[in-house]
Amino acid sequence: MRKIRNYTIAAVLLAVWIFGYVLDSGITNSVLSSGLRFGMPLALAAMVGIMCERSGVINIGIEGTMLLSGFFGFYAGVYTKNVLIGFAAAIIAGITASFLHAMMTIVWKMDQIIAGTIINILASGLTSFLYVAGVTIPNNWPIFDIPVLSKLPLVGESFFSQQGPIQYLGLIFIPFIWIMMYKTRWGLRTRSIGENPGSADTAGVSVIRMRITNVVLGGAIGGLVGGFICLELVGSFSKEFTAGAGFTALALMIFGRWNPLGAFAAAIAFGLAQALSTQLQIFGVQEIPQQFINILPYVFTIAVLAFSAGKVRPPAAAGAPYEKEKA
Amino acid sequence: MKLRISKDALVPIGSVLVALGIGAVLIAAQGHSPLVAYKVLLIKGFSSVAGLQETLSKAGILIMSGLAITVGLRAGLFNIGAQGQVITGALAFTFIGYKVQGLPAPIHILVALIFAIIVSSLLGAFVGFLKASRGVHEVISTIMLNSIMAGIVDYLAQNQLKQPGQPNTRTPDILASARLPHLFGWPIGFAIAIALAFALSWVLKRTTTGFELETVGRNRAAAWYAGISVKKSIVLGMMLSAAIAGFTGGIYSSETTGYFVPAFYSGIGFDGITIALLGRANPIALIPGAIFIGGMRSAQSAIQFESGVAPDIINLLLALVLFFATAPFLAKLLKSNAKSVTTTSGWSS
Amino acid sequence: MKKRLIAGVGALSLAVLGFAMPSSVAAADDSKCADAAVLCIGVVTDIGHVDDKSFNQAAWEGAQAGAKAAGGVANYIESSAAADTEYAKNIKLFADKKYDVIVTVGFLEANATLAAAKQYPDIKFIGVDQFVSDAPANLAGLNFYEDRAGFVAGYLAGYLTKTGKTGAVVGLNIPPVYRFAEGFKNGVAHSAAEQGKKFAKTKIVYHPAADNAFNDPAFGAANAAQMLSQGYDVIFAAGGNTGNGGLTRIAKAKGKYCIGVDVDQWNTVKEARPCLVTSAMKNIAAGVAEQVGLVKSGKFAGGNVYGTTAIAPFHAFAKKIPASVQKKVAKLQKDVNAGIVKTGVK
Repeated sequence: MRKIRNYTIAAVLLAVWIFGYVLDSGITNSVLSSGLRFGMPLALAAMVGIMCERSGVINIGIEGTMLLSGFFGFYAGVYTKNVLIGFAAAIIAGITASFLHAMMTIVWKMDQIIAGTIINILASGLTSFLYVAGVTIPNNWPIFDIPVLSKLPLVGESFFSQQGPIQYLGLIFIPFIWIMMYKTRWGLRTRSIGENPGSADTAGVSVIRMRITNVVLGGAIGGLVGGFICLELVGSFSKEFTAGAGFTALALMIFGRWNPLGAFAAAIAFGLAQALSTQLQIFGVQEIPQQFINILPYVFTIAVLAFSAGKVRPPAAAGAPYEKEKA
Repeated sequence: MKLRISKDALVPIGSVLVALGIGAVLIAAQGHSPLVAYKVLLIKGFSSVAGLQETLSKAGILIMSGLAITVGLRAGLFNIGAQGQVITGALAFTFIGYKVQGLPAPIHILVALIFAIIVSSLLGAFVGFLKASRGVHEVISTIMLNSIMAGIVDYLAQNQLKQPGQPNTRTPDILASARLPHLFGWPIGFAIAIALAFALSWVLKRTTTGFELETVGRNRAAAWYAGISVKKSIVLGMMLSAAIAGFTGGIYSSETTGYFVPAFYSGIGFDGITIALLGRANPIALIPGAIFIGGMRSAQSAIQFESGVAPDIINLLLALVLFFATAPFLAKLLKSNAKSVTTTSGWSS
Repeated sequence: MKKRLIAGVGALSLAVLGFAMPSSVAAADDSKCADAAVLCIGVVTDIGHVDDKSFNQAAWEGAQAGAKAAGGVANYIESSAAADTEYAKNIKLFADKKYDVIVTVGFLEANATLAAAKQYPDIKFIGVDQFVSDAPANLAGLNFYEDRAGFVAGYLAGYLTKTGKTGAVVGLNIPPVYRFAEGFKNGVAHSAAEQGKKFAKTKIVYHPAADNAFNDPAFGAANAAQMLSQGYDVIFAAGGNTGNGGLTRIAKAKGKYCIGVDVDQWNTVKEARPCLVTSAMKNIAAGVAEQVGLVKSGKFAGGNVYGTTAIAPFHAFAKKIPASVQKKVAKLQKDVNAGIVKTGVK
């Protein structure tokens, strides 16, 4: 039943895409391309959430993690005049922040949602206080096309042209995570500690150690996203630049059923919604006030969650700290 | 009623000291004097009548915002989107405040507040309904609603509710009959906030509804077994939380801003989260914290002028205090038995 | 225990990196302000900072220039919250120290400035971007015809575009931004009419209402990219840091033009140089300095004053723009400023 519904939705979307392409390929490609550009950071942020929650740890602190990594990545790049070092610093910041989160939730067994909120507040306070304005990084990375693939008819211009390195990397990385999650022993173990840590423990999986590792790995990805936004996509750090993206990523994760490919599809859908709302402004649609056009992606997200979330089943053990049963 | 100063008070005080210490290191590293900065930060809000009045005015808003979040937390709900509810309530209050003429002062304020509460509790009901029936977690829906309400409110303030003749986005002034007076300069909002805190504490501890909310918050399964309608409690909890947030926006409009400009309300909703967590979701316990923070916020602009330190130091100090106060290791160090705050234990239901 | 130690150290080391950060500005000595001979100027910014590369910074620079010319002292307070009570408090901080001139930046401060002007009749107030009506004589509203600068920039854009598609990515839909954008649009149309060509209407994208409307470079970048991919080759980015995001993104695309706003962004946003042909400026710094000068010479008059607007020099692009076009633009600049040519924006 679910499969039929999914295929129908996919078919309808494909039809709309082809229709738009035939109607005006330039605009259709541009909208899709923007959808990917808006959506990829969100998709990667959703991966962070998936890594953590599949292991049983709710991570609301994605927002703060990205903020911290963007900050440290950017300023490291500024003061060393080297963007690569900046990226390394961003990843380290992401790892540190998520390690702290792991400590709070797994070892100190704090409430996971509050722990995440504390990370966000800490990130916000620290970055806004240490903020220095007016500095710039050396040349940002260029945008480019992928040689052969960008010439493909339908998808070439939209997905493989004029994007930055992270968009392309993401296109490879996200399926990689999916494979890891569903086709490897690591993935099986991860999912087991998220569903039934007690049995996993009995079977010899080190629940605590694996949870900490996965949260930290997630933090590294978060660091990559934050660093990417400040070092490459935008090329500067501004206070609170994440602007709720971390929370949107969580919504997309739920929307995508904690499945990397699902979350990616959700993120692209959200990105498309934003690209469409921009396109409406470009078309000069006057009848709908600009404020309403701009909130469309958020309305869309709530609507989708409202209609699909009821049947959603998160990893069963997500949210509860693991207590070893006394035999 | 004797106030017990339990060991629980050591943890917040200890966290403040540690946070101030770390802050001092950072301030010194930037080349400024921590003593000068802290003198402004901690003393200025309390050392003059005007300063104290400003502090209490801000503290009142912080208390109410904190209460909004606290009520939600008690029911196991994390209303992280209080900001959207605050601006909605503020605009609603302002609308009645400038549009309805001919009402005498106390009634006008009351009517406007009731309208603000109704509108914002509708938002809360919507969020609660989504959670109770569709399992949409309130963290997500309220964050989305923040953006949605910001857009709607901005649209209204620029169009239907705009002050005629003014090019900028603002409403007309609230009529004098809807403005909360100051008693010889002392803000009434603070008194209202204290009263609200005690009222809520009473409701949570002494009424059936309060008991139901708290039980649902502590253990949903147990509540269900006890025959409590979990769904109803969720909706009610969110409505109450959003209502208080809207109320806060209304009071702020009435007492402080006097008209509605979206930018004037930044940060109220989010400060409430910090306050509530510091107070460990206890309506009364958040009062001292709110006064302390109110003192710092009222000195915020003067800090840079008088000591050279960026005003963001306050956000950093608050974050550090929050971290050390809630992370259990400090509590263990001080051997306190204070219960830590918990919210829901999962995404679904 | 060991894990906790590591975590604590980890968290603290993030914080301790503050050691590397330079310090903020110390206040200038204002102890002699009560003396009538010493001119003290205070700037109360809006929630932005004085180094925001935008109008807060420009007002501050104008105050400093005015102070220097008058042999006086200038200081600033950055408002940490947007509210009349906040602005009033900050104004009071200056007033209590007997400052002679107080500059308030942005229309959000209009109410508070008017109230303060009435409360302190001996202090001169300059309200940047504040349109005053029924103001006391000690309050001057420094306004600008942003549409004029936008118009001239649009006129130039009309000569630069090869595809005929021009766009604007801007901040919140408030009057100054609106005037810039509409002026730009009309300038393009004017240019098209003059060349006898038919251009698509300029597309303007506003930032949604949010706390970060002027501080959302990702939005600016993404929208600029979307326009670029649809063939727009001259894009006006006006919206503080949001616009800056657009500028840097356009700079990455080869052969496109971007236009900055408020100040000559050639100097403030260096990454935008590859595309930054000019900026639509409102000379806030010059306006503030001029008003300060009037205070010093005793010729300060209240009411609305209009500062000058202009487009920035072309810098490296001067070689690429034909001399005939540059002459036309210069002439239009004069005509628009003199009111001979109307921008069509009210």
